[in-house]
Amino acid sequence: MKRHLLAACAALVWTGAALAQDGKAKLAALKPADFPTQPIELTVVYPAGGGMDYTGRLLAKFMEKHFDAKVIVNNRTGGAGMIGHNYLATQAKPDGYTLGVVANTLWADSLLRANGRWTYKDFEPIAFLNYDPLTWAVATDGPLKDKPLKQIVEDAKAKPGATRVAVLAGNTSEMLVENVELLTGAKFTKVPFQGGAPGITAALGGHVEIGVAFTTEYRGHIEAGKMKAIGVAGDKRLPILPDAPTFNEALGTKEILWQAWRYVSVPKGIPADRRKFLEAWINAALDDPELQEEFRKTGALVDRSLVGENKIMPEVDRLIGLEKAFYEKTGRLK
Amino acid sequence: MGTIDGLAQGFSIILTWQNLYFCLIGSLVGTLIGVLPGIGPLAALSLLLPITFQMPAVAGIAMLAAIFYGAMYGGSTTAVLINIPGEAASVVTSLDGYRMAQNGRAGAALGMAALGSFIAGTISLVALSFFSPLLTSVALRFGPAENFGIMMLGLVSTIFMVQGSTVKGVQMIALGLLVSCIGMDVVDGQERFTFGSVDLTNGFDLTAIVIGLFGVSEILLNMEQVATGERVKTSIRGLWPTVQDWRDSWLPILRGTGIGFVFGVLPGGGPVTASFVSYAAEKRIARQPERFGKGAIEGVAGPESANNAAVAGSMIPLLSLGLPSNAVTALLLGAFIIQGVQPGPMMMVQRPDLFWGVIASMYVGNVILLVLNLPLVGLWVQLLRVPYTILFPLVLLLSVVGAYSVNGNSFDIWVMIGFGVVGYILKKNDYELSPFVLAVVLGPLLEQSLRQSLIMSPDGAMIFARSPIAATALGVTAALVGMLLVKEHNSRRGETLT
Repeated sequence: MKRHLLAACAALVWTGAALAQDGKAKLAALKPADFPTQPIELTVVYPAGGGMDYTGRLLAKFMEKHFDAKVIVNNRTGGAGMIGHNYLATQAKPDGYTLGVVANTLWADSLLRANGRWTYKDFEPIAFLNYDPLTWAVATDGPLKDKPLKQIVEDAKAKPGATRVAVLAGNTSEMLVENVELLTGAKFTKVPFQGGAPGITAALGGHVEIGVAFTTEYRGHIEAGKMKAIGVAGDKRLPILPDAPTFNEALGTKEILWQAWRYVSVPKGIPADRRKFLEAWINAALDDPELQEEFRKTGALVDRSLVGENKIMPEVDRLIGLEKAFYEKTGRLK
Repeated sequence: MGTIDGLAQGFSIILTWQNLYFCLIGSLVGTLIGVLPGIGPLAALSLLLPITFQMPAVAGIAMLAAIFYGAMYGGSTTAVLINIPGEAASVVTSLDGYRMAQNGRAGAALGMAALGSFIAGTISLVALSFFSPLLTSVALRFGPAENFGIMMLGLVSTIFMVQGSTVKGVQMIALGLLVSCIGMDVVDGQERFTFGSVDLTNGFDLTAIVIGLFGVSEILLNMEQVATGERVKTSIRGLWPTVQDWRDSWLPILRGTGIGFVFGVLPGGGPVTASFVSYAAEKRIARQPERFGKGAIEGVAGPESANNAAVAGSMIPLLSLGLPSNAVTALLLGAFIIQGVQPGPMMMVQRPDLFWGVIASMYVGNVILLVLNLPLVGLWVQLLRVPYTILFPLVLLLSVVGAYSVNGNSFDIWVMIGFGVVGYILKKNDYELSPFVLAVVLGPLLEQSLRQSLIMSPDGAMIFARSPIAATALGVTAALVGMLLVKEHNSRRGETLT
């Protein structure tokens, strides 16, 4: 009996290894003869230790697992991401050795801050990594603890400015609040903080009523029963917050989507064979359940239906379209 | 679980060969980067962070934390020996520490710095262990209005640490606040004084400023002295401070511990502010304030204790609220999340092994650092025997590497060189640089908390009067300004009379 079990285990291990071997063989078939001969550089535009950096480092680790080549992460930080975006758009060579691990902040930079030096059209998205929607949260001992999102928005319409929301100024979290205001006619007092976590703390201390943050930024407080999420700025509810409705669901809208949408982008003009190889390589890493589990641990959501240029491009265009329309309506973009 | 049980569990986790090993590595690396000018704990932590991905959670975080407080020990060394602070929290240590070294008391200064750090580190760890849950609720009461009050107090009290001209001190603070305005505005995200330059969107990098002002300018000044044939002679006579030193220092150490711990717990505080405030406090209390800046051991013992206590203090909002109070703890937060752990109120319950393991590792690390540092002081002092023709280019090289390593942007090297020249000119004209640095650190926080308070207040500035904490802090600040004006007025009158 034991021997059979051992044999079965060995067979399982062997098939697993064979599958990995098979994947490697498939990649090897796609590999251009002259590429890669030097390490691949993943450019992350935010500092080491943050969510983007971690995403990049995980991807590098799993890319190395699925193909025998060196992948390094380079943090080109500064200017709230602008320095790295600038680098990727104007300096990085389209030779397949520099890949950008970027997020939708690239679009905002392109639309609002690049001043025509470059646009998001100078990039080609090649793989979608994961997404993480922003949420609204209230303290469970605060004045809004029993109010549904719809009611809170109604109140903010009746008494403009009486409800205070902690936002990260100039960032998607501020856009989310403005978007809600724009669509519902409500008016909130937006108090700027340096990030989601400080805003959550201010909500805990009763200095503001609502905090806007990613779930990773206050998961501990949710588990401790001190904070609760009241709205999710994504397409669907989050598995860890089954009771929190999406904004669109609660308010009857459809364009409130504010999330970190992370993907790999390359400078335009990479030779087609290298592009194809890189795409297959990154997707081999992304199909790895271990990597997906690592992403999930950080609170990010994986969606493996978005694979291949013909799937990613329309989604990118749709999201950029929504953002652009919003910037035009609020007068940020003329 | 009670604190004692928790600590027992923590020690049983940390006292394994593997965890002790990583604690030792962290302490060593921390001391080293503390000694090296420019490469601060932030740069070291971000470089070493990826290594911890593969390590067990306790070992990885214990190592990173050890680098943080190890740097506070090491940072004093170069501040005392060559007047170049190893990192920003040791800026004030150089004021009196370097003069002590010039008077041939480098050993006592370094010894006192290490012992003060140890005492402060241990006391504040005990406080961290026992008061963590309690302090969390206090920290939560600090909203924007309270922060504004505390930071105003911090800024104004630095005027008291200025040697010589008060007017020059105020000028330096004003200049620092102006420099801190450069870059993206904290409230609207509007760019200010950037002249369209992408490199300036985040303002000047603090590390580049500190290395330039203190490192590069010091080398420029020293080159002058070498050229004129004058050379500072330092010898080392005994590490153990004398009985008189202890008599002078024990109260400053205790006060520094208290100040450091409080500033560590507060959002926006941290080792840098704590060391400045401690120095200002010591000078204010001293019976002979004129001794400060001329080699007073209190000026070394207080701030060095304060910066170590602040490290332990800043672990409280991090561990209990998941709220980093400065850039280094923000990186530590990243390290926790990477390990799949969310610091916050539930961590003590869900991962007591990690919570108490990290705290226990800090006790152990402090002992390791003391044991390491006292004998190593002799080694560091050997640095002084290296001829300047070798030492200065080496320090300059490390400074360039340090300034570059933070963001990987060569613009920061130019910032460093620019501030080096500025620092040289200012020092030549008897301006003090430390109030400037503090103003640069506090400027954005001050502006943010003021504007946040006014935005969230329905009745404008009344928000400060409604908060007891803010009202008290601002009241004391006003009293300090009043005292200063009276003092200035009297000394002016004295001048005209004589």
